[in-house]
Amino acid sequence: MLALTVLYDPECGLCRRAHAWLAEQSKLVELIFVPCASEEAHRRFPQLNHDLTTKDLTVVANDGAVYFGPKAWLMVLWALTRYRDWSYRLARPELLPTTKRVVSMISQHRYQIGRVAGVNR
Amino acid sequence: MTFGIATYIVYIAVSSAFTIWVGRTIYKNGRVFLIDVFHGNENLADSVNHLLVCGFYLIGFGYISLALKLGYDILSGQQAIEALSLKVGTVLMVLGLMHFFNLFLFTHLRRAKLGRREDHPPIGPDAFTSVQQEV
Repeated sequence: MLALTVLYDPECGLCRRAHAWLAEQSKLVELIFVPCASEEAHRRFPQLNHDLTTKDLTVVANDGAVYFGPKAWLMVLWALTRYRDWSYRLARPELLPTTKRVVSMISQHRYQIGRVAGVNR
Repeated sequence: MTFGIATYIVYIAVSSAFTIWVGRTIYKNGRVFLIDVFHGNENLADSVNHLLVCGFYLIGFGYISLALKLGYDILSGQQAIEALSLKVGTVLMVLGLMHFFNLFLFTHLRRAKLGRREDHPPIGPDAFTSVQQEV
C-alpha cells in the first residue's frame, strides 16, 4: 500500500483546518486529499457509494480498501510518522469502542464545533 | 611503601583496567546496534555511542574514586588482599550492573525502532472498491 486517498467534506471548516494541519505533518504514507462526492472522487472511484462519503470521513487505499468513519480517522493517524503508534493504541480492542464513539461524535457535530471554534467560513 | 598505599595503588590500577576494558567492549559492540537503530546513520550512531561511553566512564571512575577509602590500617599482606578483593569485587558488580543497563538501553532502542517498522494498518477495511488507475 503506497497512498491513501482522503475524501473530506470541503464545506466544513473543521475539516479544512484538519486538512491544513495534515499537510504539514511528516508522513509514512502518501495522503491525497479529494473533496468528497466531487467529480474527481467519482472519476477515481466509479463504484464507490458517494452519498455515504458525504456523511463521514472516508479513506480509500490505492489497493481499493475502503475505510469509513472512525476507521478512516485511524488510517489517517497511521499515515503520520508521529502518530502511527497512536493509531495502533486507539485500535486496540479495549479502546476501539471509545475511539469510535468520540470520533463519531466529533464527525456528527463537525459544523457546530467549527462554528464554536470560529473556523467556518 | 606501606601495605595501605600499595593496596590503594593496586586497587586503582585493577579497577581502572576493568573499567576501560568494559567501556571499550560496550563502545565496540554497541556501535552495530546503534547504527541499526539510527537507520544506518553512522555519524549519529557514533556520536550517541561516544556520549553513552562517556557517561559510562564518568560513573565508573566516579564510583572507583568514591569507594577508594578503606577506613582502617592494613598491616599484613593477607589483609591487603582481602581488602582488595572486597573493593575490586564491588567495582566489578557496579560495572556489571552498568553493563547490563547499557545492554538494556541498546535492545530497548532497537525494539522501539523495530516497533515503528510495523506497516500493517491498525484495522481492517469496511469494504473494497475499484480504483481508476491514474493515466
